[in-house]
Amino acid sequence: MLLLLLTMAAAVAAATPTADTILCRADRAVLGESAAYTLQMTVVRPGKPDRVVEMKGWKKGDALGLVRYTAPAKERGTAYLRNGANTWLYLPSAEKVVRVGAKQNFGGGDFSNADIFRLSLVNDYVPTLAGEEAWDGQPCYRLDLKAKDRTVAYDRVVYRVRSDGTFFPVHAEYYTISGRRLKWLTLGEVARMGGRARPTRLTMESALEQGSRTVLRFLAIDDDVTLDDRMFTPSALERGQ
Amino acid sequence: MKLLVLAMALAAAGAEAGSRQVEIGVENLYYRTAESPLNRGNLLGLDPDEDLLRGTLLWREVRGRARGVFRGLVEQRIGGRDRTEWRAREAYLQYGFGEAVTVRAGRQRIAWGSGFAWNPTNRLEPPRNPLNTGLEQQGADAVRVDVIPAAWAGVIVVAARSRTGVSDLPFANEGTERRTAAVRARFLVRETDLAAVVSGGRNQRTLVGLDAARTLFGQATAHVEASTYRGAEMPPARERQRFVRVAAGVLYPRGEHTSWTIEYFFNGEGYGDDARDAWLGQLEGSAGEAYAAAATVPYSGGLGLRRHYVHGSWTRSAVGGRWTTALRAVFGASDGGLALTPGIVYAPRGDLTVHLDAIVPVGPADSEYRLAPVRAAVQARIRALF
Repeated sequence: MLLLLLTMAAAVAAATPTADTILCRADRAVLGESAAYTLQMTVVRPGKPDRVVEMKGWKKGDALGLVRYTAPAKERGTAYLRNGANTWLYLPSAEKVVRVGAKQNFGGGDFSNADIFRLSLVNDYVPTLAGEEAWDGQPCYRLDLKAKDRTVAYDRVVYRVRSDGTFFPVHAEYYTISGRRLKWLTLGEVARMGGRARPTRLTMESALEQGSRTVLRFLAIDDDVTLDDRMFTPSALERGQ
Repeated sequence: MKLLVLAMALAAAGAEAGSRQVEIGVENLYYRTAESPLNRGNLLGLDPDEDLLRGTLLWREVRGRARGVFRGLVEQRIGGRDRTEWRAREAYLQYGFGEAVTVRAGRQRIAWGSGFAWNPTNRLEPPRNPLNTGLEQQGADAVRVDVIPAAWAGVIVVAARSRTGVSDLPFANEGTERRTAAVRARFLVRETDLAAVVSGGRNQRTLVGLDAARTLFGQATAHVEASTYRGAEMPPARERQRFVRVAAGVLYPRGEHTSWTIEYFFNGEGYGDDARDAWLGQLEGSAGEAYAAAATVPYSGGLGLRRHYVHGSWTRSAVGGRWTTALRAVFGASDGGLALTPGIVYAPRGDLTVHLDAIVPVGPADSEYRLAPVRAAVQARIRALF
């Protein structure tokens, strides 16, 4: 009987992936290793009109990302570039590239530059599998992520990833170093895009102002793209689109 | 004509998928003027109220790897000496050979350097309007080649021709023609942007420059841009003397929509009190063309008459939002002069913007910004975007 229980326990343990594996799979659930995408961002503030911005983005691996605004017309040409820990902003009116901080918020919404270009949680955080729980009616792994160093945007993240084999992330809570919950992210609207199913709607809500939220909706994604590393340089940013 | 050439070249680039951006605008730059040490006896022929009324056009077309840009204006001066003229701020063609090499030819901005208000490593372009650095800048006639050998490095080689006169003022100031050859090599080293610049040519000093920018604590960014050269740009020439210019500052975003900048500028060849008095004394004693030439020194491609300046700005804006408010100020730490530029942008729709800037120079009567004949200015711009 004891042997049977031990065997069953070993089987269950073998079936449960490690925290690193879960995080790696979740990292690739929305965008692949390299991707080109079209995105719509809506910033909602209580009592104010919604602000809607559309952009095109590219990412390569865990370190390189580029986003260019395409609408509204007055924002067209503005671009953000991420290369590792470095972020730059291109201002078309001044035709100038300016270095900005990763913790700075992106486009006046609830996402930081680091959130938008968070190309790999695996690189920034040490994950621990804290258990399994149901979230919004779905069985999930609960991961506790601890920042590897102080340069990372958040000290701690509680991350929920579907345990049904899809590894789709569904919810994340971001905490400051003092333990205060700063904001939370909900991922949903799983749809087939670019040849596979994936979450296509990301909603970041702020704990600082009730009712404030920013919604990112992917309008198109192409994972099968070949991108040159030199596309992700300030020099290339200056050349414009 | 330039627009026609651009259109033909882009048409020749083929029918690849592309994008087009068109902006049509109306601008009115109003200046309140007065006689001053730099406008003795109203030599510049200014009315107390001067207006520059403009129609503007931006056409930006991208076809595959080709890109064409035209940015120009028609200007009617309504004041002491009415005149109408048109000017292309930019008119260039660009073609990219993969990601590695891009060639751009025509009138263009070459906005290099990490400095906000001053770029001591950039002597290629016509100088910025000292009263409002937020205005669109005039480009230089140039051929520019960008080479990106690796993701951590970039090299720009430029041959440029430009005039040293400042535009956007209610009086003509052509300046002299500068022909410049320059190389800028940019590197990303240990999360720091580094750039080295060498530039020189006709009617200018040969300079060597360094530029560095880095993020601090994930939030703020800091920069230092410096150049050194032998011989002064402002009179007296001081041929044997080596000068240094340094711009150093910080950009600090605070909260959701607000950002602050502060930048210190050291202008090594700038006048001390004695040199300033000597220059003003020389102005007093000169007449005719000699006076006119000396009085335009502050507008002729220099980066300021004095040695120490501080620029500060506060901006509140949101991407896609309706309102942007800003306050810029340049403080002449050598003489107590201050140029205040409050501004507001209203965007009732995503394709329409209304800009309003005011310029208020204050400070002691003999300070740099009070020497100029402009007592106040209001600059209004309306843009429709397609």
